[in-house]
Amino acid sequence: MRDKLLSLVLFLHRSPKYKTYKQFARNILFNEENVYKRYFDLTIIFLVISSVIILVYEVKYSVPQWLDNYDIYFVSFVFAIEYLLRLWVYNDLSEIIIAEYNDAKFLQKDFNIYSALKTGLSQKLKYVFTPSAIVDLLAILPAYRPLRILRVFILFRVFKLLRYTKSINQFIDVLVNKKFELLTLLFLLLFIVFTSGIAIYILEAEKNVNIDTLFDGIYWAVVTMATVGYGDIAPVTDIGRAISILIIISGIAMISFVTSVIVSAFSERLNELKDNRIIEQMNKSKSFLIVCGYGQLTKMFFRQNRRTIENYVIIDNDISRVEAAKKDGYTVMHDNASSFETLNRFDAKNCDIILLCMTASDVENIYITLNAKSISRKIKVIARVNDPLNLDKFNYAGADETLMPGKVANTMIYMAITQPTMYKAIHAILTGKSIANIDEIHVHHSHGIVDTQLKDLDFKSSKLLFIGIQRGNEFIFNPSSSEVIQPYDILLVMGRKISLEYFKSIHKGNISVKK
Amino acid sequence: MSKNKVVIFGYGNHGKFIAKGLQNDGFDITIIESDKKFYKDAKADNFKKIFLIDVLKDDELKKVDFDVFEQLVCVMDDEHLNVFLTLSLRSLFKDSYILSISDSLNVTKKLKMAGADKVIDLYEVSANKIYNILDRPVATRLLEGFVGSQDGIVFKEMVIPEGSFLDGQMADDVDFSKYDILLVGMIDKEIGHSFFFVTTGIEHKLDSGDTIVCIGLKDKLEDFSEEIKKTESKI
Repeated sequence: MRDKLLSLVLFLHRSPKYKTYKQFARNILFNEENVYKRYFDLTIIFLVISSVIILVYEVKYSVPQWLDNYDIYFVSFVFAIEYLLRLWVYNDLSEIIIAEYNDAKFLQKDFNIYSALKTGLSQKLKYVFTPSAIVDLLAILPAYRPLRILRVFILFRVFKLLRYTKSINQFIDVLVNKKFELLTLLFLLLFIVFTSGIAIYILEAEKNVNIDTLFDGIYWAVVTMATVGYGDIAPVTDIGRAISILIIISGIAMISFVTSVIVSAFSERLNELKDNRIIEQMNKSKSFLIVCGYGQLTKMFFRQNRRTIENYVIIDNDISRVEAAKKDGYTVMHDNASSFETLNRFDAKNCDIILLCMTASDVENIYITLNAKSISRKIKVIARVNDPLNLDKFNYAGADETLMPGKVANTMIYMAITQPTMYKAIHAILTGKSIANIDEIHVHHSHGIVDTQLKDLDFKSSKLLFIGIQRGNEFIFNPSSSEVIQPYDILLVMGRKISLEYFKSIHKGNISVKK
Repeated sequence: MSKNKVVIFGYGNHGKFIAKGLQNDGFDITIIESDKKFYKDAKADNFKKIFLIDVLKDDELKKVDFDVFEQLVCVMDDEHLNVFLTLSLRSLFKDSYILSISDSLNVTKKLKMAGADKVIDLYEVSANKIYNILDRPVATRLLEGFVGSQDGIVFKEMVIPEGSFLDGQMADDVDFSKYDILLVGMIDKEIGHSFFFVTTGIEHKLDSGDTIVCIGLKDKLEDFSEEIKKTESKI
């Protein structure tokens, strides 16, 4: 038996097929990027909704037999499979056993497969008791026909939908944060409910026809305390009414207390929740800009109207600047960009992030640069350097591009004095005036102009000025007309925007079929 | 030519850089400061014509004979001083060309109102640069070279001299690539003072007195500026 189990485990461990199946199941259940997950989710949602509609309809009308069977057997069957799949992919039982087996072999001691099995199974058991697993299990139960009461468990199927809503998790999160306050209040509440419930039972069970059991007393206490007051049970004795007065007053106090705790918890977390929303949106967009600091430079940057920047977020740790940015209508987060936690919330692995360090302090900018680079080298950092003496430090910190506002302005002034004509030209190019754009044409490996000679590309008739080719790290200025374009070249051309777009459009279409 | 005479107001962060650059290029510069510390800095950096005057007082400003200067550059570190100075200079010297630096949108507006001919906004140019880095990194690096006038590919403007072989030719007919340079644009005197890029698609006739702007390697540009003085191109 033991050997058989072990050989099975080894077989599973070695089988690539088993692994692909498991990975597939995992993807379908958890991987947001998997195409099938969407369909799987939609199926589950459809099953849940249809099941609940049938339940409600059934109360007053009779449903056809096949619909009943669909509801009870088919839906439950699918849910059961889902449940088992989730249980299966929760951990790798075979891997745990193999690991323990290898350890045992290494230490040359006896291998006990059952203890390894126990570790794995206890992990699975842990999963069984998580709230979502319990909901899943309860959603299967209605399949058991003989117990009619189980029909109501169909409502648990609705809870399965919670998996697809993030707001409920945030809500629970907020409540968990106030666990201490809420628990204290709950105990106080229970104490009052039970004492007054017992009291009313003792005092009035004899005289009041509506109070029969202790449950009636407690039910009355809760209804009164919540200021609901159905009136189906009402005290008849003076002492009973006195108790009512007491618990009504304490009830009002208690409820307003609970409300205020929850409201304050939410308002405390409101900004954080908003920030989470922003970060989520950013991470979804796959390529975005993080701008640190909302100072003069940032304001100018956003005022350029050169092109609309869609995916960006401004981070500033000064609340007054955050408010100013909000007023100006920008997406902004009040947070400290130099802290690891802040930047780590962005998905640097899967997104193209460009970070602009634009605060007025070099110390801050260097810190943010280092912070970003320590999270991922992939984050591209453009840093503002205020003091030229710090430039080296920025390079050491790993900033991809540095920008010195003073120096840029100085060179512009210098040029405006020395070469006024050129200043106009450069200014037009830098500010991207439509008459003079310098633009890059990125040639991909399947681009239509690969392998063509420069003379065959009629730049002149497209009203473009061809400047050169960036090939690898080398820039070839004004290459000869027989130069052949290679894949991944970047062609630098100058001209009006429409000429550039026209040129790009006529050369994009004919993707070469040459191999 | 008086164009080479420049007055720089302020020897702070910006003034220092500009003054040194201009001195290297052989400009005749005069520095005016009202701050003693900066005045000493300028002295230490071997500038000859330095005046320590209170720029807030018109009488003192008048003492300097500005009529011989073509360009007045206001680059004081204090933006309030800059605006005030621009205003005083404009009221005192109506024909001067005044260039000012600004560090915010509001100041730019004020400087323009005060009568500055050209205002360079510290953050605007930087903001533009960020855009350029984001949009077209290769082009930006190249432009950086143009602007920074380091070795390598630079811009150069030159005036077509009398009797040059370029005189009378259509811009499209001249093969600039022969000289390893490219024509970017020009100021055609017949049309006015505005700058035309070659890519606008309008036919231009080159005449003597026109200014052309070319890009290319520094020495090739030098060679070309010698070449256009000749009546016939040998290349």
